[in-house]
Amino acid sequence: MNAGPPQSSAAPAQAKALNCPHCGASLTLRSFNNAVTIVCSSCHSILDAKDPNLKILQTFEKTVETDRPLIPLGTRGKIRGVQYEVIGYQRRTIYVEGVPYSWHEYLLFNPYQGFRYFTEYNGHWNDTSTLRGLPTIRPGIVPSATYLGERYRHFQTAEASTTFVLGEFPWQVRVGEIAKVSDYISPPRVISSEQSGNEITWSMGEYMAGRDVWKAFNLPGSAPQPVGVYENQPSPVSGMTTSIWLAFSALMLALVVILIGCSAMQRDEQAFVGDYAFNANGARGEPSFVTDVFELKGHTSNVEVVTDTNVNNSWIFLNYALIDQDTGHAFDFGREVSYYHGYDSDGSWTEGKSKDSVIIPQVPPGHYYLRVEPESDPGMGFIRYSITVRRDVPNYTFYGLAFLALLVPAVLITWRSLSFEHLRWAESDYAPLMGGGS
Amino acid sequence: MIRILYVLYGMLVLGVLATAEYNGWSLASINEVKNVPRSVRDNPGSYRSVYGYYHHYTGGK
Repeated sequence: MNAGPPQSSAAPAQAKALNCPHCGASLTLRSFNNAVTIVCSSCHSILDAKDPNLKILQTFEKTVETDRPLIPLGTRGKIRGVQYEVIGYQRRTIYVEGVPYSWHEYLLFNPYQGFRYFTEYNGHWNDTSTLRGLPTIRPGIVPSATYLGERYRHFQTAEASTTFVLGEFPWQVRVGEIAKVSDYISPPRVISSEQSGNEITWSMGEYMAGRDVWKAFNLPGSAPQPVGVYENQPSPVSGMTTSIWLAFSALMLALVVILIGCSAMQRDEQAFVGDYAFNANGARGEPSFVTDVFELKGHTSNVEVVTDTNVNNSWIFLNYALIDQDTGHAFDFGREVSYYHGYDSDGSWTEGKSKDSVIIPQVPPGHYYLRVEPESDPGMGFIRYSITVRRDVPNYTFYGLAFLALLVPAVLITWRSLSFEHLRWAESDYAPLMGGGS
Repeated sequence: MIRILYVLYGMLVLGVLATAEYNGWSLASINEVKNVPRSVRDNPGSYRSVYGYYHHYTGGK
């Protein structure tokens, strides 16, 4: 939630020393005659800064030990090139289903630029200032607000109470004061309305990284790590999903072009074909044999060996060696071809195929023959099979892998974007139903 | 930035794909043997494949 401070006129840049009428502690008035209330940091009395005697307006329980401002009062830093001083600090709390959620507001002052806010919730920071105009509210299932042509979606409306104050404020601040606050978001910006009585104040916040706050105010150490996803926190993959899918589409187009181009350039020619039979019943002697010599043309490329059999509830294993008759260089591989089918209580089933294909990589051109050594179980009878050798064929496995390699990052980025938005809206009035259905 | 990285990554993937297709790469498990004697052509049994002791599946459901 963000709230905007009332507007202020410029004032001299000097501090005025006063004393608390309740405890006598010294007070420093940093915004000079802009201050309406000032809170004693010692006894936490809220004093009327406009009253010459600093009339006590309210006292509240001291909780400063547990609510120390991350940016000490009086700290100066440069925001957008303008030097501001932290002059006030307050904690605001809302209750959702009885659970308190608190954020902190730092009131910043520059005598020439006036006031602005820093808000902080769980390590998430916003640079906030009052709106100069009124946004246009459009009701709906998810109401929206339009300001300077930008549409903001309603995020949350809640009653916020002021639960702690420190420093000085240009309005009548009170602990226990309640205001109705509504946030409309268009990350990294948020516009907020704060209604107290009949008065409505609008402000705009822009998300800031904690490290930038630390740098601006030259604070020691490092900013607390943000917890969770904040309402107007920009997604690290914000607006990227569409462009990633556009890039994916372009890459898919390029993949198709490569497929067509490679298919056109590849020889994809049959180099050898032969039909054979293996007698598994009474095979005696050496079962291995060699084929005729065939030529593999072109540049070093792949070779596909297709084995087509008539196995039927049986199998055949073929030890292959593709041997270059000139160099003696061999590509040794084995292929099992098996096909089973039947019927059981689950219905009909099949397993395996009677046809097999393998692609041998990077085979140089030359004159080759195949050494073939078939094996099978005795009793399988005659198994007929044909061997076909094709040169320089498309390997569609690579196209599938390339498709997956391109798809996975796009899906991951989309998933990350969706999960980020899911976490963002889980904290809103429009939280998607969670696992428990609450 | 991520989009640029994705496009560069995609171009790398497509480059590898084109290279693989042109050079005839394959994922098949193939064992290369050098200096196979010429006598194999006349006596195929003199050569023994490294897959000769493969434990065959003889199943079905």
